[in-house]
Amino acid sequence: MRLRFPERLTLVDLILWGLRIGIVVFVVAGSFATLTHGLLGVEGWRSLIVVGLAQGSIYALIALGYTLVYGVLFMINFAHGEVFMSGAFTAFFVATGLASSGVLEANPFLGLAVIFGVAMVTSMSVAILLERVAYRPLRRAPRLVPLITAIGASLFLQYTFRQLYGSGVRSYPRIDVLVGTWDIFGVPFQKTQVVVIVAAMLLMVGLYYFVQRTRTGRAMRAVSEDKDVAAMMGINVDRVIATTFAIGGLLAGAAGILYVFLFNSVSFSMGFLPGIKAFTAAVLGGIGNIVGAMLGGLFLGVLESIGPVLFLSGFGVPATNQLRDVVAFTLLVLVLIFRPYGILGRKE
Amino acid sequence: MNELDVRRLLQRAAWMGLLGALATVYLALIGIVVRFEPRNVITGYLTLGLLAPAIAILVLSYRAAIPPRTWGAETPTRATAAAASLLAGLVSGSGVAAFLLLNNSVDLSGVFTNATPATARVLGLGFEFPAAYGVLVGAGLGIGLVAAALHALRPQLRTPLLQAITAVILLSLMEPFMRVVLLQLGQNEVAGFFYQSGGLTPAGAALVFVVVLGIGLAIAFRGQQVRERVGALPSTQQRGLQIAAFVVGLVVLLWLPQLIGSFLSEVIGTVGLYILMGLGLNIVVGYAGLLDLGYVAFFAIGAYATAILTSPVSALGVAWPFWLAIPVVMLVAAFSGLLIGAPVLRLRGDYLAIVTLGIGEIVRILLLSDALRPWTGGAQGILQVPPPELLDIDFFAPQNLYYPILAFVVLGALVAFSLANSRVGRAWNAMREDEDVASATGINVTNYKLLAFALGAAFGCIAGAFLAVKLGSIFPHNLNLLVSITVLSLIILGGMGSIPGVIVGAFVLVGLPELLREFGEYRLLIYGAVLITMMLWRPEGLIPSAQRRRELHEEVGDEEQWQHESGAQTAPPVVERP
Repeated sequence: MRLRFPERLTLVDLILWGLRIGIVVFVVAGSFATLTHGLLGVEGWRSLIVVGLAQGSIYALIALGYTLVYGVLFMINFAHGEVFMSGAFTAFFVATGLASSGVLEANPFLGLAVIFGVAMVTSMSVAILLERVAYRPLRRAPRLVPLITAIGASLFLQYTFRQLYGSGVRSYPRIDVLVGTWDIFGVPFQKTQVVVIVAAMLLMVGLYYFVQRTRTGRAMRAVSEDKDVAAMMGINVDRVIATTFAIGGLLAGAAGILYVFLFNSVSFSMGFLPGIKAFTAAVLGGIGNIVGAMLGGLFLGVLESIGPVLFLSGFGVPATNQLRDVVAFTLLVLVLIFRPYGILGRKE
Repeated sequence: MNELDVRRLLQRAAWMGLLGALATVYLALIGIVVRFEPRNVITGYLTLGLLAPAIAILVLSYRAAIPPRTWGAETPTRATAAAASLLAGLVSGSGVAAFLLLNNSVDLSGVFTNATPATARVLGLGFEFPAAYGVLVGAGLGIGLVAAALHALRPQLRTPLLQAITAVILLSLMEPFMRVVLLQLGQNEVAGFFYQSGGLTPAGAALVFVVVLGIGLAIAFRGQQVRERVGALPSTQQRGLQIAAFVVGLVVLLWLPQLIGSFLSEVIGTVGLYILMGLGLNIVVGYAGLLDLGYVAFFAIGAYATAILTSPVSALGVAWPFWLAIPVVMLVAAFSGLLIGAPVLRLRGDYLAIVTLGIGEIVRILLLSDALRPWTGGAQGILQVPPPELLDIDFFAPQNLYYPILAFVVLGALVAFSLANSRVGRAWNAMREDEDVASATGINVTNYKLLAFALGAAFGCIAGAFLAVKLGSIFPHNLNLLVSITVLSLIILGGMGSIPGVIVGAFVLVGLPELLREFGEYRLLIYGAVLITMMLWRPEGLIPSAQRRRELHEEVGDEEQWQHESGAQTAPPVVERP
């Protein structure tokens, strides 16, 4: 990034420069203090990084939904976190059913496939319905109007699911195949974390090929370039947009089950934080940019995992894990202020 | 104008009927039907639980007879309209019956918490089960019949009729409020005549219906004449009428807390805080066009600044009196507005919304964390915030705290009103419409945005100060994103940029749920629905500011023009400008 001083230094510039310098000093001093104190060994850092990668690959999957939709409609689908929640929450009932009937025990892969299928289909349906009811009629409205609708839809979906399925936190049944560790190069890794990372990578590679190589993917790229011209080329724009929402929903549904692998519980409000963080990841990678969203998610996951310890514990701040979300939100604010076009994106 | 395709209209009516059935099933599964069952609308005849689905089906079957504008078809004949409405009602009724059949044969309660026998009983209108299916189909047909009858009426009759029905529903919803007021006035018999066990009595409902219908008919047939006559009055007399209305309003406002007692004063006080916040956020969102989702940050800063300055047990321990703290809180507010505003103002609309949301969350998590515990008390908050002191009045009583809140609301409304109609307000307008053009005409966009942010922050902080005083303590838990969302919803409901809109929005979205305890758990669901519905059907709000209405109508004009152009052949319509 080339730094350029404005010709006239206004109050706003002054505050922005103060913020920049303050952050850099804070991060460097904090990291230095933590590292010289040697609070964590190599083991500790490695496990934090793996946790961060697993968490980050879930953010990446959700972030893809934001990025895809932004790519074709230039709107932030604020309710995407709820799309993510709806699949995992609905699949809970299937999972308990499978567990109590013994299918999950006897044939775990079939059981997992069914759970994934239910979650993905539910999330996809919610996403398609959302687009049809709340966004399509407003496609020509001023920019803030669909954003307000999206906030409304987020609340509406969250509390609809609370009323439908109850407000408590539900715990998924234990999935025995995923308990324990695998040794990779002589280092033990949690099975769940490995599965989450690998599954997310496969899905992302699949999406990349879908967008780059298939006819529908090409139509999506055409619509994101210019809707009117795409329509003139014989592309059914409405259908392509619905498909985009559907794919975002499928990925979010899968992310929901991966999230369950890591945290084991679902509730109606589980979508909010991952939703915001995934949005951060999408912006971080340059919104509209598919590879960017993947890298942004992984980066955010790792930073959120090691950040509080690395930057804060050196200063003797107590209970740094309470401030995990502050790291994510601060990153969100800073990225949007200083590089709204993302790290991989280019200035418009 | 094409000839109407009757078959297609009936097909659509069947779909609308299915939608009505789905809406009913939705309302049943989220529990509204059962939850609102104990609340009577007309005691002994109609409860709120069944009213909600009935209205949904009625609206849909009424709409079923109106072909959508995109068809370009002529209006259907009376017989066709009636057939469509009846069909929609019939399908709705059968759909609900089918759902109940499913619910009675398969146990759904393991998944849907509200798929209980109680729901089935209420939805079956209290009849025994095989018979209830038939009754439901009949009830659907009945609603369709009402819709068909509404179509047959002249519009001059239809509007007053709907107004009268609305008045009955509203008055019965306001039962807790009206009853208290009537009892305080010593009108026990009147209260007993109108209200009984949470709803209107049949006689009371009939009286309200007849009176409102009469007024409505009078307005429909004679309203134009009266308006002309008032317009023809000499200007001094018109002025006199305005002043008389103003004085009556003022007396009612000042007398209100004595009239409604302690609990309702508390509710009105809360509404007042939200009006203050609404006025502040309205400056940011409505006037300047900056969507701020982190408005709660200012509310929190105001509340905490007040608590730290006035509470004897805070870290500062200075225990200033409230009135001395207020100016300092306002300074803190303006400063925090600048500090938060400055970095984010260069962002585009939707990014600004997300960044402010992030800032609001950061403030909340910091207040909750142990890191700032010595100052903010962490999750325990700050206790012992004293009430304001003035002339030995006990401001801890909600009836008395009402007055300072009212004073600040009036002051805030005056400030907001005069700002909107000043040079500053015009600059904000220009900026909201087109930033580039505004800055090209010499408006310093950054400074005006900062001004809007700082002013909005000041309003939010004062509301926060009163929250601290009102509760006597302050916790991070009641300062979450939902406060920002509530304030945003009330602005959207009332109409962005409209001061009366803010007041009405606050009463509907904050006051009404406090009165109707049953609403409690549906509050946020309803806010979400309000945001979506308003954006889809009435983006200018219930009480739009004159300017917004003009802008939005202009937009509709442009869009129609676009449709005509892209449809080719037809020439763009001549847009008349006033």
